[in-house]
Amino acid sequence: MLQIYGNGFLNSYSQVFFSNNKTLAILLFLVTFLNPVSGLSGAIAIIIGQILARGFNFSQVLISDGTYTYNSLMVGVGMGVIYDPSMAYLVVLIVFSIITFFLSVWLSHFFSLKKLPFLSIPFLLAMWLVLLGGDSFSSLQLSSRQIWFLGFNSTGLINQVAEFVGTLPFPDVLHLYLRSLGAILFQYNDLAGIIIVIAILISSRMALVLSFFGFLIGYLFYLNFEGDFSQLVYSYIGFNFILTGIALGGFFIVPSRKSYLLLIVVIPVIAFLISGFYSLFTVFQLPLYSLPFNIVVLLVLYTFGLRTSSKGLNLVTLQQFSPEKNYYKHLLGKMRFGTETYYHLSLPVLGEWYISQGANGKITHKGEWKEALDFDIRDDSGKTFRGSGAELSDYYCYDIPVVAPAHGTIIKIDDGIEDNVVGNVNLEYNWGNTVIIKHGEGFFTKLSHLKKGSIKYNEGDFVQQGDILAHCGSSGRSPEPHLHFQVQTQPYIGAPTLKYPIAYYLVKEKNTFAMKEFAYPKEGETIRNVEVNSLLKKAYNFIPGQSINVSVAKSGEKPTEEVWKVNTNLYNQSYFYSPENGARAYFINRGQVFLFTDYSGKTNTALYAFYICSQKILLGSYKDVELNDQLPVSPFFNKLLLLLQDFAAPFYQFLGVNFHSKIVFIDNDHSPREIQIETGEEAIAGKRILNLRKGKITIGKKGIKSFEITNPRKKTTLSCAFRF
Amino acid sequence: MGKLLYERPIITPLQAGISNKFGTRTEYLPKTHIDHVAVKEIIEKYGSPAYVFSERQIRNNYRNIKRTFDTRYPKVQFAWSYKTNYLNAICNIYHQEGSWAEVVSGFEYQKAIGNGVPGNKILFNGPDKTDDDLRLAVNNDSPIHIDHLDELYRLTEIARSMDKKPRVAIRVNMDTGIYPMWDRFGFNYENGQAWEAINKIMANDVLDLIGLHAHIGTFMLSPGAYGIAATKLSDLALGIKKQYGNSISYIDLGGGFPSKNTLKGSFLPGTDSVPEISEFAEAITTAILSAGFNKDELPYLYLETGRAMIDDAGYLIGSVISNKRLSDGRRATIIDFGVNTLFTAFWYDHKITPAQKFGLHTENTVIYGPLCMNIDVIRENVSLPPLNAGDQVVVHFVGAYNFTQSMQFITLRPAVVLINMQDKPVLIREKESIDAVTQYEILPENLKSFKL
Repeated sequence: MLQIYGNGFLNSYSQVFFSNNKTLAILLFLVTFLNPVSGLSGAIAIIIGQILARGFNFSQVLISDGTYTYNSLMVGVGMGVIYDPSMAYLVVLIVFSIITFFLSVWLSHFFSLKKLPFLSIPFLLAMWLVLLGGDSFSSLQLSSRQIWFLGFNSTGLINQVAEFVGTLPFPDVLHLYLRSLGAILFQYNDLAGIIIVIAILISSRMALVLSFFGFLIGYLFYLNFEGDFSQLVYSYIGFNFILTGIALGGFFIVPSRKSYLLLIVVIPVIAFLISGFYSLFTVFQLPLYSLPFNIVVLLVLYTFGLRTSSKGLNLVTLQQFSPEKNYYKHLLGKMRFGTETYYHLSLPVLGEWYISQGANGKITHKGEWKEALDFDIRDDSGKTFRGSGAELSDYYCYDIPVVAPAHGTIIKIDDGIEDNVVGNVNLEYNWGNTVIIKHGEGFFTKLSHLKKGSIKYNEGDFVQQGDILAHCGSSGRSPEPHLHFQVQTQPYIGAPTLKYPIAYYLVKEKNTFAMKEFAYPKEGETIRNVEVNSLLKKAYNFIPGQSINVSVAKSGEKPTEEVWKVNTNLYNQSYFYSPENGARAYFINRGQVFLFTDYSGKTNTALYAFYICSQKILLGSYKDVELNDQLPVSPFFNKLLLLLQDFAAPFYQFLGVNFHSKIVFIDNDHSPREIQIETGEEAIAGKRILNLRKGKITIGKKGIKSFEITNPRKKTTLSCAFRF
Repeated sequence: MGKLLYERPIITPLQAGISNKFGTRTEYLPKTHIDHVAVKEIIEKYGSPAYVFSERQIRNNYRNIKRTFDTRYPKVQFAWSYKTNYLNAICNIYHQEGSWAEVVSGFEYQKAIGNGVPGNKILFNGPDKTDDDLRLAVNNDSPIHIDHLDELYRLTEIARSMDKKPRVAIRVNMDTGIYPMWDRFGFNYENGQAWEAINKIMANDVLDLIGLHAHIGTFMLSPGAYGIAATKLSDLALGIKKQYGNSISYIDLGGGFPSKNTLKGSFLPGTDSVPEISEFAEAITTAILSAGFNKDELPYLYLETGRAMIDDAGYLIGSVISNKRLSDGRRATIIDFGVNTLFTAFWYDHKITPAQKFGLHTENTVIYGPLCMNIDVIRENVSLPPLNAGDQVVVHFVGAYNFTQSMQFITLRPAVVLINMQDKPVLIREKESIDAVTQYEILPENLKSFKL
């Protein structure tokens, strides 16, 4: 309860700078109190907003995020600068806090329907209303404090400091930048600016870079086009560049080189908006405040939201409240899941087959049909047949079953076409006997050249992945038995092919297999599907509602008992939850592969250890087949390196954590009781391994028995036993 | 043009008007070489007779049969049937190809261990396993295929005393529509014995039931019977899953697939009448795939195929000792190997070919072995060209059971030669000497000397 409102209060401050960082919030809070009336007014406005939110029973999440109250804060701070404190002022402050709250609620909903943020529009409307209407009530006294340096008549130490800072030999652009930064909180001085710079530096390095970058572009634009600098100096309207820089450079859009380029295009637009509206608003004697920023950000986000593909610039889908977090999440997501597709196809065969013609093949996979695969079976010498090869039955793949690559409905069958005599082709019915399966709207797979009379289903039948559809034959344009497989977007025989990956499969290497994930089988590869091992499947089958009791032993500490709960949230994401420390580890079980997708909470917990050592696990009992993945970097490096990486991130990523796992021991290949998996987590800077952890998971008949993670350099171990 | 052949004169009855579509010729060509190695050369080097195996053929057979099953069913494992041929060199070729071992006695078990097969990859079958055998198998974590209730009780006791949980399977016999029904091994399916045994195992929780095993017969010519066996075993496995929630990890359909040999009394030669291995594969895999298993819980399919994997990779080569004419006028040829070396002569009409060129004419011949016993008949009636003393003959399809069932009787056992992948003959078992017979004999003191 107190926590929600406490968080809400602080977040109202940090939200102004697109963050939820507490240190940032406290420093901003102090900055507002450089003008005590203003600071107090801001705090009062937030509290009024929160009381209303509670009275109306609004979402606790949004209260805690400060979403409803950050506009109230700005209105309070703004009013505190304009008016002298009095009873009448207090009443007006309360009234406008209430209005701002209503505007926030209305606009947040209104814009969220368009999937847009409402930014500071409530503040703009409320402040303009204050300024337009304030003159009519003479009991409200305009403040004369603005003329003093810090906004109040102070001769104390702070004022001296502020004056000193103002005279520091910074270039003009820096002074202007600092004052513009302060202007966001109605503090038009360098001291406020410097405190805010430090606060942003602590909360987000990227935000700081972006804020200055945005400002610099605006400044240079004014300089080069000989703009009217009085506009920039009056009320330091240049803070629009700063806010836009952070918002579009890294908050609503994932930071990247391209997002920086976007700013170069967009910031000049703000300059024009400032000068354009400046003339218009002086008629009404209204300041522009953050109007240009609001207009441009909404314009860009609205446009970007309507794109059909998100190549290049990516909108942030799940807000992390920090440009670097947005960036790292996006990067990791792209590296880990960038190739994943909605439909998971498996190979349409059982056992080991050979890709005799891949995409862009030399024989027939050309033009519209270039993304197809041909399968046959070969012996060690590469032959497709035994004996003389004159009969169809000499061919290894002839009359061998082919299976459905995914669930779906059979929508088209062609049967009754004779299998060709070896060497002959049937160009009249070139696809031969064919099955088309519909897996979803506009998503079909087609299997061709099947053996005459071997199709086991009728049109309209529903098939499961792995069901035997028919037998491999040699009908149609097929001089020797083989299977033609393609993905297509139309339900017709002869439709063009679609490039689409196979979700999980194994490629034969000398004595072992290589695991492929969402990849494209290549010509000349011998491939097979992943067979799931029941022990591994059972061990990683976590059911929502399940409680897992574990006992944790860290080196040098007493063993402790923990309970993890398996939960599923509204978005169907399953996760482990540790009530002891509030950590959450999100996971997906893909059938053939188990993987963790995300983690939130402290990184010294047993759940975190489980998260990193089970990051990605193959659920088939293939010894020594390695799976690779990437882990979030932050827990693996020291603060300094991370700081450098934050500054460099959108341009150069030099830190990474590689994950790999493989089965190293199976006590019995087919009916195992114990399987051991080894994992490794290597933190790499450039090409050097800086940090290393090794994991070991032991799986028994009842499930995961235990896991252990060691840091060989620090010689620390965390081991964790599961109790059943 | 080479030197013209000399053939000794023969008398052939005139068969005017009755034409045989094969005429009177033998239907085959001389077999002068095995994998490019001359038969004559082998006999010169290793003596006559000799068993000859082709490594290339063994590997080809394994890969073909493996592929035939593997592409129809995703989880297949072969176990080499030791009793079919337990020469270490032969076994290890199969192990190199990925085959496990299937043994039916303590001695075979020792052999598999000696070959380096990991204990948990030796299937222990057979009705006679001693307590010591069982203890060893439990220690090595080998799957033990229980044959009868007494064995079940004994193994339960042993497991309790050792405080271990052995992995076991039960052998099941059943009616698959073939005659004779093999009901002497394992527990019967139809009368409920099999379920009873399963219930006993599940109830006492001392043994870990991981597999079901059936072996419906030998030299089976009906693929459908395997389909029925697979269906019945699947039914049991699904019953166990339903009743106890345990997934059976494998279904073992044993062996019994025929080779291309010709059974005595069959009308057509084996090469024409024996079904292809793919027909068996199709019947078995279709039955298991359509039995109703959850796709992620399909049991492994174990196969203990012996004969079909090796029969055609083995040859017996020997020499003609003499020719004679019997009282009824039939031609008889005596060769230097008998039924103690070619045991399967009792079951099959073996294909026999001369190892040197021959002419146009053939004559019905009886082939006798060298034993001084009336039963020593290799072929009662075979159409062969005239052979001379010292000529060589090759018997085909002798890879299965002949070596393992051969014995020293009147003659000793011959050398075994393997023609390797480089087409070079290598000796894998020496020709036996008198020691082979006498080394285990113990002569009591009072019998050591005598005067004649």
